[in-house]
Amino acid sequence: MPDLHIADPAPAMTTAAAQTSPTGKALSIVGLHKTYGSAVAVDSASMEIAAGEFVTFLGPSGSGKTTTLMMVAGFVEPDSGTVTVGGRDVTRLAPQKRGFGFVFQQYLLFPHMTVYENLAFPLQLRGVAKSEIRRRVHEALEMAGMAGFAGRRPRELSGGQQQRVALCRALIYRPPVILMDEPLGALDKKLRDQLQVEIKAIQRELGLTVIYVTHDQEEALVLSDRIAVMRDGGIDQFDTPRELFERPRTPFVADFLGAANFLPGRVMKGDDDVTLVRLDHGGLLTARPHPIRPGQPVQAAVQPGRLRVCAPDQGFCTGTVETVTYVGTLVRTGVRLAEDTPLLRLEVPAGRAPVTGERVGLTADAEDINVFPADADG
Amino acid sequence: MAGSLVRPATPVRPHSAPEPSRPRGLRHRLVGTRRARIGLLNVSPIVLYLLVLFVFPIVGTLLLSLKNADGSLTLHWYAEALSGANLSVLFTTLRISAETSLLSLAVGFVLANALSRLRPIWAGLVMLIVVVPHFISALVRTYGWIILLGDHGLANQTLTGLKIPGAPFRMLYNETGVVIGTTAVMLPYTVLLLYGVMRGVDRRLLAAAASMGAGRVRIFVRIYLPLVASGLASAGLLSFILCLGYYITPALMGGTKQTMVASLINDQVMKQDQWNGAAAQGVVLLLITFAGLLLLKAARSIGAGARKRSAS
Repeated sequence: MPDLHIADPAPAMTTAAAQTSPTGKALSIVGLHKTYGSAVAVDSASMEIAAGEFVTFLGPSGSGKTTTLMMVAGFVEPDSGTVTVGGRDVTRLAPQKRGFGFVFQQYLLFPHMTVYENLAFPLQLRGVAKSEIRRRVHEALEMAGMAGFAGRRPRELSGGQQQRVALCRALIYRPPVILMDEPLGALDKKLRDQLQVEIKAIQRELGLTVIYVTHDQEEALVLSDRIAVMRDGGIDQFDTPRELFERPRTPFVADFLGAANFLPGRVMKGDDDVTLVRLDHGGLLTARPHPIRPGQPVQAAVQPGRLRVCAPDQGFCTGTVETVTYVGTLVRTGVRLAEDTPLLRLEVPAGRAPVTGERVGLTADAEDINVFPADADG
Repeated sequence: MAGSLVRPATPVRPHSAPEPSRPRGLRHRLVGTRRARIGLLNVSPIVLYLLVLFVFPIVGTLLLSLKNADGSLTLHWYAEALSGANLSVLFTTLRISAETSLLSLAVGFVLANALSRLRPIWAGLVMLIVVVPHFISALVRTYGWIILLGDHGLANQTLTGLKIPGAPFRMLYNETGVVIGTTAVMLPYTVLLLYGVMRGVDRRLLAAAASMGAGRVRIFVRIYLPLVASGLASAGLLSFILCLGYYITPALMGGTKQTMVASLINDQVMKQDQWNGAAAQGVVLLLITFAGLLLLKAARSIGAGARKRSAS
């Protein structure tokens, strides 16, 4: 197995990631449904995951992402729907018969076993020869940068080290699919960033199929080939990070991933190239084409990083700068269009930052603006 | 009196004062400062308590067991306690204690395991049912068992009614009766101890084991048992030690062949006015108890050492 080097951030990838043939298997979910009493936890979730693909379930708490993962793992039995792995239906199979790897947020290393024994355990279950176990455990520890820790107890390790061991334990028996339930949720930011890079590198190197659950959108963007944005038990959109970012299908996705600003208005006219919107507080705005009838009330969504400042009355709207916050190379700026409208958030390069109280115009490229019907929820 | 001699004793050492780092300052440290004087005042009740109720009786018993009728020192009483009929009584005591401890572990394990899976509120209720008998006099409970287990008691009537071959069984005035009786007495301790340990086991660890392919049996043997092993050892040892010096139930539910050391001590004191022999037997029981505790400790450290070696 190759040693773990800190890979450079992954270039924007489309689906199936691995260059070599993936060791992971394809997984498909069809109409997974789960209710608890009258509450719908997961509402007919369906998706196809390619072999070697890194997929993240992203959503706020209560969105059904963990329940969906638990149904894939076999810990929760779905009311209806199927889970298929490499063409085999595993829906009614007990967790231990699915052969998946699972990484828990709480690490869950066996406290009465050493690191070595923890890693050897799944191999012993599979009847692997002793010498082979020794070889593979040491190889895995080497890969995780934990070579000197074989004899330690879990309680003698830090949180980050424990999660490294837990990751090794899930990888060591080469499962067809690895499920991770907020594995970095209990770690501090710096360690999280570091482990994200390591997880991504191993996943790409070995061509693993991974399903990852998180509520951290930045983490999802860093890791995933595709992200399923979940809300209220349903999947709002299942797409590549880029698509989700640039072409959100619902206001919720635009808000959750892009933290978008919403500008209310009315469609003037639309064709195959652009949509023209008359803003309630401003002038005319050109947005991406959307199949919306003229006259319909809409909201135009623009991300803070895509809004630009220009001279007053030069952009599609004009407002007053209320807040200016320096965050390194960028300046977060809050602009209000009128008395009772929400503050619009902008991120402008530090050199071109306006000052508080200044009147500024706002503009953005048409392809950075998405239009949603005003009654769309989220 | 005899009872207090054979009570299981945990070795508690009174910490009357901090260890002096320089002998020169000892007197000053003990009584010289206001703080030290107040500290001394605070620990004095417990020191007094231990001296009067713990150190004094044990030292007294020890001296008694080493004295001849004329006051000279002798090991005669120990020779007597460890020979002939007395020795076989000692072995009977050990055997019955071991049987009781194993049986109460087995029953206690099943009970505590079931309890630990209940919701806390139900577990509390069932726990009450397990523990309440403990507050009823052992004498009353023992008579209850005698009524239940007699030749025409409820147990035998049920068994004959079910046409179990061999019924009615003889379950009184033999070892079966004694072990059933003492087990019933020890059970609350076992269940309480095991329940605490089992509640403390993180159930998600079992789910984690399942996720990597372990079946029920493997999870039980490789994960669950090791996690509750220390509790099992403590509970087993506790009921063994308690049983060693137990008096009422074996005396009432056993025959002559089930005479235990506590009965023997009682006979010597009450019927023969033979305090020295009784004291020697009491000290023997105490030593066995200490040996048991040491054994447990040794077993634990050996186990820990073995695990550490196997990893490297």
